[in-house]
Amino acid sequence: MESRLLRVDLTTGECSVEVVPHAMFERWIGGSGINNWIMWEHFLTHDINCDPRGPDNIFVFGVGPLAGTGSGSGIKGRITFKSPCYGIFGDSAAGGKFPYMVRFAGFDYIAITGKAPRPVYLYLCDGEVEIRDAAHLWGKNTAEAHGALRQELGDYPSAAHTLTIGQAGEHQVGIAAVVSDASRIHARGGGGCVLGSKNLKAIAVQGSGGIRVDNPRGLLAWSRDFRQKIDQNEAIYGFKRRGTLGAVEMYQHIGSHFWRNNQGNMFRGEEVRSDNWVKKYHKYSEVCSADCYIACDGRYKIDGTESEKAKKYVGETFRRPEYLTTGSAAGALDLRDWAEVAHWGKVTNDYAIDNQDLSCSISFMMELEQRGLLSARDKGELFGRDQSLEWGNMEDVEALMHNIVHRENRFGDFFNDGPYWGALRYSEFKGENFMKYAIYGKGGASFTEEMRPFPTWMNNMAVASRGADHLKGIGLVEKFQRRDLSMKYFGRPEAADLTTPLLKGACTAVVENQVALLNSYGVCLFHWMLDPGGFTPEEYYGRAFAEITGIDRTPEELMRDGERICNLEKAFNSRLGLRREHDTVCERWMHEPCPEGMYPGKVASDMFETVLDEYYDWRGWDRKTGLQTASRLASLGLQDVAEVLAAEGALAPG
Amino acid sequence: MITINAQYQSRFREITGVEKEFFHLEQGTVAALAAQITGKYGPLMTALLMDEDSKSLNSRGTLYLNSKGQRVYLEDDLNEGETVFFMVGIAGG
Repeated sequence: MESRLLRVDLTTGECSVEVVPHAMFERWIGGSGINNWIMWEHFLTHDINCDPRGPDNIFVFGVGPLAGTGSGSGIKGRITFKSPCYGIFGDSAAGGKFPYMVRFAGFDYIAITGKAPRPVYLYLCDGEVEIRDAAHLWGKNTAEAHGALRQELGDYPSAAHTLTIGQAGEHQVGIAAVVSDASRIHARGGGGCVLGSKNLKAIAVQGSGGIRVDNPRGLLAWSRDFRQKIDQNEAIYGFKRRGTLGAVEMYQHIGSHFWRNNQGNMFRGEEVRSDNWVKKYHKYSEVCSADCYIACDGRYKIDGTESEKAKKYVGETFRRPEYLTTGSAAGALDLRDWAEVAHWGKVTNDYAIDNQDLSCSISFMMELEQRGLLSARDKGELFGRDQSLEWGNMEDVEALMHNIVHRENRFGDFFNDGPYWGALRYSEFKGENFMKYAIYGKGGASFTEEMRPFPTWMNNMAVASRGADHLKGIGLVEKFQRRDLSMKYFGRPEAADLTTPLLKGACTAVVENQVALLNSYGVCLFHWMLDPGGFTPEEYYGRAFAEITGIDRTPEELMRDGERICNLEKAFNSRLGLRREHDTVCERWMHEPCPEGMYPGKVASDMFETVLDEYYDWRGWDRKTGLQTASRLASLGLQDVAEVLAAEGALAPG
Repeated sequence: MITINAQYQSRFREITGVEKEFFHLEQGTVAALAAQITGKYGPLMTALLMDEDSKSLNSRGTLYLNSKGQRVYLEDDLNEGETVFFMVGIAGG
């Protein structure tokens, strides 16, 4: 397999291309693994404590080896950077056509440093690179910028595919996102802010190239088997119809939503808590990528007959909201009309801002209002006006969203990095501690689901390398109570038992390693969650990886590859000073009992420290400091990383 | 003979056309309940509920809980009056 890395220095305008050595795939697999290494190497020669909004930060885009090969599963592109909102490791994935079009344009990885003197966009086409003026795109939202680029670039040698920032990125909002083809969002961590700080409005690609694979016949056989497994799975039919919204009713039943800043965990709106409305609004299904056999995407169009509030959005069409878009709108903000939920999804994509951080920031403020903690003077200081902060009021939500996207008042400035930093800044400003109302893990906003009954999920929130996160160590074994998987992974059932801390830290570590592999292959995690390959990606997807790259590993070796990738993310954060005390979650989760649903009364503190100890043990990290050990890093072939950490006092003693 | 309340969500409800119904079982097991449900609703329900390879309940994106919030498996016993919830759910996005 041949793979190329494009390096762009926006300060000098210099572009260079390197062939990615095969040894890189041997060590880092591809996708997020290689992205991580590119960033790690960059910060060996640049100050890792740099301002993430400064020219020394790096923005890496990369695709996994499966992308664009026709395997039916390799659809994800990944961006990697030092997070401007959390100040730690940052990365985010999105599907769509852009990732494989980058490969068809002749590249697999793009590493961007420096800062352009004026707004520009990067244009890639069949191996050629240009930095072009973007003055005409600046100020446009992602849909407008994508449309303008499509028109400008025409359809030869292919339709143009884009990665763009919106107004949030232009204003260097810490939680700004990056959107591909105006619809698929790299939401977490603030990648849009990094691009905005570099004056890079977009990357546009066109290409007619192909992708060499090591064993095309072998890949075709794998692909057929994968297709067969997908087609035979009736549960996937339901997933195609509803996407992640199929989970709304299940979450309502068990009490797993995130309502009003997680003061509750069940939706109140009659319409939004059932998925019957999917039929009402659904217009047609679509695939996000030609290289996906599942096709869970859908599109809505509002004609105004659906509800009184829908009349405001007549003609609006966009992707059907995913669960977390719904969770943030119908849950965190208590919007009860589905047209408003859908509109929230569209407008956050257009602005390109993470709707998890955004909803948690707005709902923090609404809870202060609910509790009578905001006087007219407080509101004047924050908003410069007497701002209404009513739960479920879309006008209030949009006003606060606008404030953050444009950083236009004290509230917008305080909360541009999400709820943790926003609450901290507001507390300091007022000289009063409001942190008990901020919902976060490791400084990152919660994703809008209830965590307290689920100790593995809670541990994920504390230890995930990019801050509170549901996608690094997915807690499916526990949430779905998969005794069979617990037996498969550990030979014991406790990982699936919600009543004990046993194997919860272990499960985080094992699944993090698996997910690191999947993210490096470029596989969509929904494929894995629907289990076509037996929940052992090191076996099933490992075969596809071997057919493409010629790197034939045992499942055990691949799991060590996954562990190596996780350890590099950890090492990055250790260099930034993160220790055990940073692997923690917010006060509400830790001490306030889960109020309702199927598992009331649960608090994180019941099991938190025990689970964290077990996690460190499974990782081979030091319990006391949370730091990595030289011996474990050496066993993973990461002596060079250990040396860097040792030199900076970021390795466990002994 | 025991009576079990089956409650359906999402895709399960779409196939059954009802939100809930009662089944009378000679044997008080999840296997007996699954046999009655698949017998009543045919191949589509069988494909959704059962995993032919492992001869167990389909575990792909599905969840079956009793009224205590515990997942049920084919071999589990059911008590008189128990409710079993049939759900699907892959969240995220």
